Amino acid sequence: MTNIEHDDAAIIIIGSGAGGGTLAYELTARGLPVVVLEAGSYLRNEDYVNDEWEAFNQMAWLDPRTTSGSWRIARDFPNLPAWIVKAVGGTTTHWSGATPRFKAHEFAARSTYGRIDGANLLDWPITLAELAPFYDKAEVAMGSTHVHGRKPLPANNNYKVFANGAERIGYKFYATGPYATNAEEYDGRPASVQDGFNFQGDKNKSKWSTLVREIPRAEATGLLDLRPECHVVQITHDASGRADAVLYLDKDGNLQRQSAKLVAVAANSIETPRLLLQSASPMFPDGLANSSGQVGRNYMRHTTGSVYARFNDPVRMHRGETMAGVIADESKHDPDRGFAGGYYLETLSLGPAFLASFGDPGAWGQGFTTILEAYANTAGLWIVGEDLPQESNRVTLNTTVSDKNGLPVPNVHFDDHINDIAMRDHGYTQAELLYEAVGSVGAQRTPPYPSTHNMGTSRMSERPEDGVVDKWGRAHDVPNLFISDGSVFTTGAAANPTLTIVALAIRQSEYIADQLKTGGI
Amino acid sequence: MAFPAKYPQLNETELTGEARSVLIRVIRVAFPHPSFPDGPYERTADTILREAENSTWFRVALTQGLLTLGHLAGGDFRDLNDEDATKVLRRIETTEFFGFIRRTTVLNLYDNEDVWEILGFEGPSFDKGGYVNRGFNDLDWLPEARIESYDGPEQLIEIATNVSVATVRGGESASASERDTSNQPGKRDATMTAVKK
Repeated sequence: MTNIEHDDAAIIIIGSGAGGGTLAYELTARGLPVVVLEAGSYLRNEDYVNDEWEAFNQMAWLDPRTTSGSWRIARDFPNLPAWIVKAVGGTTTHWSGATPRFKAHEFAARSTYGRIDGANLLDWPITLAELAPFYDKAEVAMGSTHVHGRKPLPANNNYKVFANGAERIGYKFYATGPYATNAEEYDGRPASVQDGFNFQGDKNKSKWSTLVREIPRAEATGLLDLRPECHVVQITHDASGRADAVLYLDKDGNLQRQSAKLVAVAANSIETPRLLLQSASPMFPDGLANSSGQVGRNYMRHTTGSVYARFNDPVRMHRGETMAGVIADESKHDPDRGFAGGYYLETLSLGPAFLASFGDPGAWGQGFTTILEAYANTAGLWIVGEDLPQESNRVTLNTTVSDKNGLPVPNVHFDDHINDIAMRDHGYTQAELLYEAVGSVGAQRTPPYPSTHNMGTSRMSERPEDGVVDKWGRAHDVPNLFISDGSVFTTGAAANPTLTIVALAIRQSEYIADQLKTGGI
Repeated sequence: MAFPAKYPQLNETELTGEARSVLIRVIRVAFPHPSFPDGPYERTADTILREAENSTWFRVALTQGLLTLGHLAGGDFRDLNDEDATKVLRRIETTEFFGFIRRTTVLNLYDNEDVWEILGFEGPSFDKGGYVNRGFNDLDWLPEARIESYDGPEQLIEIATNVSVATVRGGESASASERDTSNQPGKRDATMTAVKK
């Protein structure tokens, strides 16, 4: 590993997850040295534990946050708006692994769905055709099953219930993937042992993460200066409005300054806008790169929900991959269903500890214990669909609450759009029909968990007045500032976001390398 | 809680053995699992008592709550049958007292192998080689399911054929040149306003 001097104007990447980790690898592979500042510690696969709460406390981003709005999270988990990871590798170390692509029309949501009251829809400044070659690269890098010759994952118990139910209600487009988890040895990593612990970190390294692929490969180039436990406080700029340094707290709490020639922010969709807002200055009074006023706005979390169905016979959903089944039939745009956009159904399993906490938050008594009593005979799935961007769904700085460093905490405000509610209700109903078709005797509608898909708070736009970054993720207002995570999503699409974050980061790395070579930055 | 100064016990911040036994009964009534032995409930009660030590607010709420539960029960809460005891708890379910017990129970009762085994969860599995050779696919009451992508004659229709582009909620098709957004009203916004009037 290299050491870059604090006075050397460096390429600085903030965050080491799907966006930051990928960008770090792609740039170092092109011979460019980078500093990666990661707020979390350097956990390794062998450090992970097969225990839901212990792993949560080991991996999750637990710095205080506040919430407001009518979403249930503000009542049930007021200080945990998002369930993401604080560690090297970021949330790729905890993600379930699903890798569907966006559809062509999902890059043109405004044109396709038309005007919808209360929604701040906008077309992406890029198309599927432009991103397709990078989707290919991302899928090959991540080892997505079902594509590029990768074998499908085998059917586990939860999938057998899911797929049989799908078939019986007339769904066609179901399979055990695509998932970025090895069904056979690939890329130097082994096949899944079906241990049933995904959200707790994959000890077996079968699931792709930047921890198992991009970070070690970037380290092997000798050009990566990875600094874990370094929490960035501010991006500073010079008189011309170019980013010139990053201020961060190191693991001992000392404030450090790293000189910058280029800054790429990939801190996930809550911390990224928080950092831009914390970087306000007389030249950028509303926050860095925020002349549009869109920093922190249009926060999206996907329309989600789960259904846990009970059967007379054993399912044992905890055995095997947590997620290894996708139904795409409802991912279409069909307003006859009563909403714009589409959703996927994906298998999901929780252990008793998490099912108790998230299955029906706030409940107790016989109705609650029925869910747990049926654990062994329960099958589960997750609804994940497009939610609509709204300007009022927003990350702001809460200056009345401080974190341990004395920094204002982010507040996350969220209200469902009526389109989101209609989609979720449709998903619940379809899931119940699916399970009834294979004999379920009862089902629990579980509300959205703390958000695992966080998007939109620094969105891409053609015009500087509509968003924060251009089609390369380059800030409209600051020429050497890039955003490299899901914050740049103009709209959320139905698909799980990680594949698209990785594809965009690969594409961005080519642009950055090219611009640095030609003096364009 | 509801009845302060009338009760000299209010100043009592040490929980008695009797309070612990009432607490165990509260947890069992609120989270009834006939198959659970006393152990998991006692363990959970002790966790709640330990957590109460760390917070004056919870300690005060818990102490007074347990002391006064008998008033709603018309005697000793522990003497009520399940149905009557549940009714009493329903009356206080929005109190800080009950909320503290509920939250702590949900987090702790189910986070221990003493109940996992009863519920049919097998705990950590990586050290045992996962389930790849231990029944990850042993469900036999349904047919085997296809795992590959669908390759039949139907195509996934991404946009329903009965929808012309941008007819959702009365919009009209927008070409790239006349796009607008809700925060940046443009030509199409004006059209929509006119329609509404």
